[in-house]
Amino acid sequence: MASMCEATTRVLPGAAVIELSGEVDGSAADVLTNAYQTAVGTDADLGTVVLDFSAVDYINSTGIALIVSVLARARAERRKVVACGLSPHYREIFDITRLSDFIELFPDLDHAVSELTGPAA
Amino acid sequence: MTQIARPAPRRLDTFELPSEPGNERLALARVAETVQGLGLSDSRLEKLKTAVAEATMNAIEHGNGNRAEIPVEVEVTQNGDDIVVAISDQGGDATGQAGPAQEPDLLQKLEGAQSPRGWGLFLIRNMVDAMDITTNGQRHTIWLTMRTGGAEHGEHV
Repeated sequence: MASMCEATTRVLPGAAVIELSGEVDGSAADVLTNAYQTAVGTDADLGTVVLDFSAVDYINSTGIALIVSVLARARAERRKVVACGLSPHYREIFDITRLSDFIELFPDLDHAVSELTGPAA
Repeated sequence: MTQIARPAPRRLDTFELPSEPGNERLALARVAETVQGLGLSDSRLEKLKTAVAEATMNAIEHGNGNRAEIPVEVEVTQNGDDIVVAISDQGGDATGQAGPAQEPDLLQKLEGAQSPRGWGLFLIRNMVDAMDITTNGQRHTIWLTMRTGGAEHGEHV
């Protein structure tokens, strides 16, 4: 089944952002894995990965499994994962699954970036 | 003794889907359209949609083995204040046994002690007011019940 998920990446000082769109389900495995690899590159000092779900309209249990895998990899590499742009429904699913115990949630990317990079000078 | 007549269950919709990955999206969209206006809040409708999608995925994958020619059957009924969605496959006991034997534990998954997968039934149980499973021969059915008109636990109205 072709993936209905797309990802774009960009790197900020100290953090990599993965902006996801479409559907995060099992078919998104390659998209998410490649995006993570592109985002962190070879920068071992890159401490935080931001998952932006603002343009995601569907996450299912196999998508949750992919997010768990990304989190596991990031933890093994001593990186923090934060997420933003989740709808109230998916925020609740992050709570139920306890993902929100390990992934700090922000309402949107601006809040996440502001928190990660500190107040503007 | 006075008995209060309870209205008979009313069938709202019934349909079949080929057992092909991704068709759970069709099921959730059609069920959402069917129950629109029956008193579910937006948040509870989202929960029912997630439960329907997960149950349909299980039926497609574990029940019917992704064999498109074996349909997943979906029936939506209203029984008093309850909306009941029944999702059936032909996997018999195998459908239920395909799920994880243990409760998903995120920390164990992060440490590699559990597979990252195995969230489907857990999510369903946490999305609906009641979940029941029946097996009759090869026919395996999961029943999802959502009450209308009231607030769920912890939800303010």
